[in-house]
Amino acid sequence: MTKDEFQQLAEAYGGDVARWPAGQREDAALFATREPGFAQATLAREAELDAALDALPQAQASRELYERIVADAPAKRGRVRPWRLWLAPAGVSAALASVAAAGVILGLQLGQQAAAGAETSAQAVADLDVSAVAEEG
Amino acid sequence: MASDPDEELLVRIADGDPAAVRALVARKLPRIHGLAQRMLGDSAEAEDVAQETFLRVWRQAPKWRPGQARFDTWMHRVALNLCYDRLRRRREIVTDDPPQVADEGPAPDRGLAAQDTGRRVAQALAKLPDRQREAVVLCHYQELGNIEAATVMGVTVEALESLLSRGRRALRAALADLVER
Repeated sequence: MTKDEFQQLAEAYGGDVARWPAGQREDAALFATREPGFAQATLAREAELDAALDALPQAQASRELYERIVADAPAKRGRVRPWRLWLAPAGVSAALASVAAAGVILGLQLGQQAAAGAETSAQAVADLDVSAVAEEG
Repeated sequence: MASDPDEELLVRIADGDPAAVRALVARKLPRIHGLAQRMLGDSAEAEDVAQETFLRVWRQAPKWRPGQARFDTWMHRVALNLCYDRLRRRREIVTDDPPQVADEGPAPDRGLAAQDTGRRVAQALAKLPDRQREAVVLCHYQELGNIEAATVMGVTVEALESLLSRGRRALRAALADLVER
């Protein structure tokens, strides 16, 4: 490793050789034994910038954000929970409409799965993405 | 290829395991939020990017195939694409005012000097060209290896090193009174 190469790596990756590309660390260590003054001065200079960069304040993600993200995750696949539709606060008519809509959506998806070459109808049902069916309540 | 540490959680998430959902969010949210915060310099936008990134994670989890890529790499790419969408939108709005750097408020365990340095670094980072800032954020703050960072950025390692060197030189110039030139 030459002086230029050592300096270029330090200018790119900073003053901590442990953070340099793995394939370069051994050569860098050998270079530092041959040119200790140059190596130490170069690394110290970059370490000073590293320390300044580390002063950047890190905003913490809020608890509310965490909970919103978790709430966005889909429910367990394959579970339509039809009983929840009947308990919808909007009433029985809304529940009936939801069941009818679910039936349309499931029917369309079964048709698509058949066209896509699902091996068996049972497998096609297991593969359905029922997260597309809105849940009431 | 070393096994992906996120793979087991993804399999459980695809099966609808709520504990796995919480574990993945706990593991990844600080990284993705931090990435977006440093790229955009705006807390509200960083939260939006983080939430949208995870929406894509929830859609992708059932389709994730082991060995196709590291999940963390893919997640970084998704978050950065969302950041760049916002950066492009900013440029479409003609304004003389640069984006305001988020004021994090007083930190009880940080001295005033450290707070000032932090604010100066935030301003200097915000003024970097986007790709230089991305390189510095990925390597210095996200601590990605050079190959992984280059993969995320879609560039060669040589190009990554050029971006890093130029970015660090520009930061050094902006912080000249704090660090040796």
